[in-house]
Amino acid sequence: MLMEAALASVRFGLGAQPGEMARAAADPQAWLRAQINPTAAHLGTRAAQALPTSNDAITALVKRRKDMKAGGDEALRRAARRSLVQEISARNQHAQRTQTPFAERWAQFWANHFTVAATRIETVYLAGPFEREAIRPHVFGRFETLLKAATLHAGMLSYLDNHRSFGPSTRVAQRRGLGLNENLAREVLELHTLGVDGGYTQTDVESLAKALTGYVPGFSPAARRDPGKPVVFAEFVHEPGAKTLMRQCFRADGQGQAPAMLDFLSQHPSTANHISRKLARHFIADMPPRSAVDALTHTFNRTRGDLGAIAQQLIELEEAWALPLVKVKTPQELMISAARILGLSSAFGGARKSYAGFAQTPLLAPSPAGWADTADVWLSPDAMMKRVEWANQVARRSRMPANVFLTEALGPLASAADHSTLRRAESPAQAMTLALMSPAFQRR
Amino acid sequence: MISRRVLLAGIGAATFAGPMARAAQPKAKLILVVLRGAMDGLGVVPKLDDPYLGEHRKALVPSKTLSLTDGFALDAHLTALHQWFLAGEASIVHAISGPWRDRSHFLSQDLLESGGVTAAGRTGWLNRALSVHSSLSAVSIGPAQPLILKGSAQTSSWSPPVLPPASPDTIARLMDMYAADPILQQALGQAIATNAMTQTTKSSTRGGREQGFAKHMAAAARLMTAPGGPNIAVVCMDGWDTHSAQIGRLGRSLRALNEGLIAGRSALKETWEDTVIACVTEFGRTVRDNGAKGTDHGTAGAAFLAGGALKTAGGKMLGDWPGLAPGALYQNRDLYPANDLHALFKGLLTQLYGFDAPGLAKVFPDTRGGPVMRLA
Repeated sequence: MLMEAALASVRFGLGAQPGEMARAAADPQAWLRAQINPTAAHLGTRAAQALPTSNDAITALVKRRKDMKAGGDEALRRAARRSLVQEISARNQHAQRTQTPFAERWAQFWANHFTVAATRIETVYLAGPFEREAIRPHVFGRFETLLKAATLHAGMLSYLDNHRSFGPSTRVAQRRGLGLNENLAREVLELHTLGVDGGYTQTDVESLAKALTGYVPGFSPAARRDPGKPVVFAEFVHEPGAKTLMRQCFRADGQGQAPAMLDFLSQHPSTANHISRKLARHFIADMPPRSAVDALTHTFNRTRGDLGAIAQQLIELEEAWALPLVKVKTPQELMISAARILGLSSAFGGARKSYAGFAQTPLLAPSPAGWADTADVWLSPDAMMKRVEWANQVARRSRMPANVFLTEALGPLASAADHSTLRRAESPAQAMTLALMSPAFQRR
Repeated sequence: MISRRVLLAGIGAATFAGPMARAAQPKAKLILVVLRGAMDGLGVVPKLDDPYLGEHRKALVPSKTLSLTDGFALDAHLTALHQWFLAGEASIVHAISGPWRDRSHFLSQDLLESGGVTAAGRTGWLNRALSVHSSLSAVSIGPAQPLILKGSAQTSSWSPPVLPPASPDTIARLMDMYAADPILQQALGQAIATNAMTQTTKSSTRGGREQGFAKHMAAAARLMTAPGGPNIAVVCMDGWDTHSAQIGRLGRSLRALNEGLIAGRSALKETWEDTVIACVTEFGRTVRDNGAKGTDHGTAGAAFLAGGALKTAGGKMLGDWPGLAPGALYQNRDLYPANDLHALFKGLLTQLYGFDAPGLAKVFPDTRGGPVMRLA
């Protein structure tokens, strides 16, 4: 049971807090199962209560536009940066403190799957509200609910340019020479549902893009007739008419057409396969065993995308409890696990930029594909040295003896050789650097 | 302690200088710049004398351009490239695309780097080139190792330091601790070797005042010019996906690219004469304006070559030009792919490192026997 408790904390959770493994040890699977619960995936810290909703964000954006015209550029830039730092630190704080770390890992997986990155001013304001409103409430619900909530949220609509997409045959497009923007439709098919080999064509991309026209975030000029809402369906921008997606005809239904297509995509076998592969890759191995992917796909199809049932299936997979530890922690996972065991929020580097080069900071993924989930992307020689430098900094601030760290964070996963290496270290700080960099703590 | 130091020095030597049995390291240097996000080749290198250009994309023709040859012009932000073009030290391949016809950034970047045609493998073509020509060595700049350098041949990576270094003693103890974990051990061993190199470089990689891409280009050049430094460096630059407000966004990216090219050349010093800097992107963009003053994912784009090692291929528009007449477009929307990135890559390997047909077939098995661009 001790080994299972360690795996429950380290592989399914976010790394143990002191005492966590002892609590999970009575029944590790039950400890995980109890976390499959919608409220467990909410952002629970007190700081999170004060964070803005997408309505607040849209109001702030519209006001900002007016203020920009009146000057005062620099102050507004500072305010935007401050709000992003608040979002990131609320998320880090929650990851450090949560008592339901499996639910949080699960939520972070889905936030990364539906990446909205704070790469431009609209998403600097909307990326946080997007995660709280469109992702977290739905991660243990049905995939189709999550897909629709994410695709049609103001955050995603603005991140992937849907407010810049105009039905080509609409009057406004013809008069002003505007057209379709395929960005959102393409990423929905390639990244969020079917996967790049999922069997869709350029025509399918265009069909979905056309169906999505009209859905715009509330700050968009097309939403002006309907003020005060985070998302508006602007009929005059929508490409009218029936459309065909994956050989399936979708009747002309204005606002209803895109959600109908998303429902259809959520039930497609390619989607079940794509999602199951990603989950197995995240929880089991960079090259996951076929049997595990098949079991998850089967559950996805059988339950028509019930994400709670899929989480349950994942816990029951024998492959998910295999040893040795093969996944290397992402930099972000490494920081979270150190913060949890040491009770040290400075493991995240605070708002300082010093860790930015390798930290995989939440809300700042480089592309709609999110942060990569396989070590070959980020375990480069340079990133390895950055980890050592990071561990060296964290070790100086930690008060925990290194042997206690090994026992509490890793239990039976730490080897006798690890313990003896730490005993021979020249100083407590060096011992902690070695503990943080030990193979067992680098993996999960 | 002495044994550890010897171990570290040994790793450094094995990585870049190569074991004694290897052939002498070639002089030629290649800096491959991957422009991620699909640079709009037609926006950066417009063919101003093509009557269809204004019809397709009036709003996207840069207001200030610098003349090239054959009716082509260069966006005025790329001053360095233009100057080198006139001096016979740079050339442009327009209407170029890989042999893939997919408009996904991620798949296309993976294909660009893996050297595949339809399915991206898990190893990069430059890594395979290192396996074929074992006296070559390579480094990537930036915290993540790009796919193009993944594979069985060892490579290194480097990015600007941000934190104080750990002590050599701590690092040596970690190397001992990783004896049973080859993945971690190899990554750390390579990092130690590269760091040793930056310390032997007189103008230290830490010293530069440049930012972002320029800093990376300067670092690549300094590593390459260090004694025993790598032949090949890969530098990546994001920010080319211009779906909207293209003129402004492209201008910012081009300014940074220009600064990076200048920083690279100045840090290369006389090694510039033996170097080719090749800038490539995963695909081009639609010929027509998309209505949001931007362009969507297309097919053929442009590639830039610069450096003294271009010799007689410098100062030219290389390859064929398919034209912009509506009937000449690919699928009536994209610039027709008249030239092939694989042919360009093969040309570079041939010109710089003397690769022959069997060697090229190992590097690009999916396009074996295909054309090789002549760059001499």
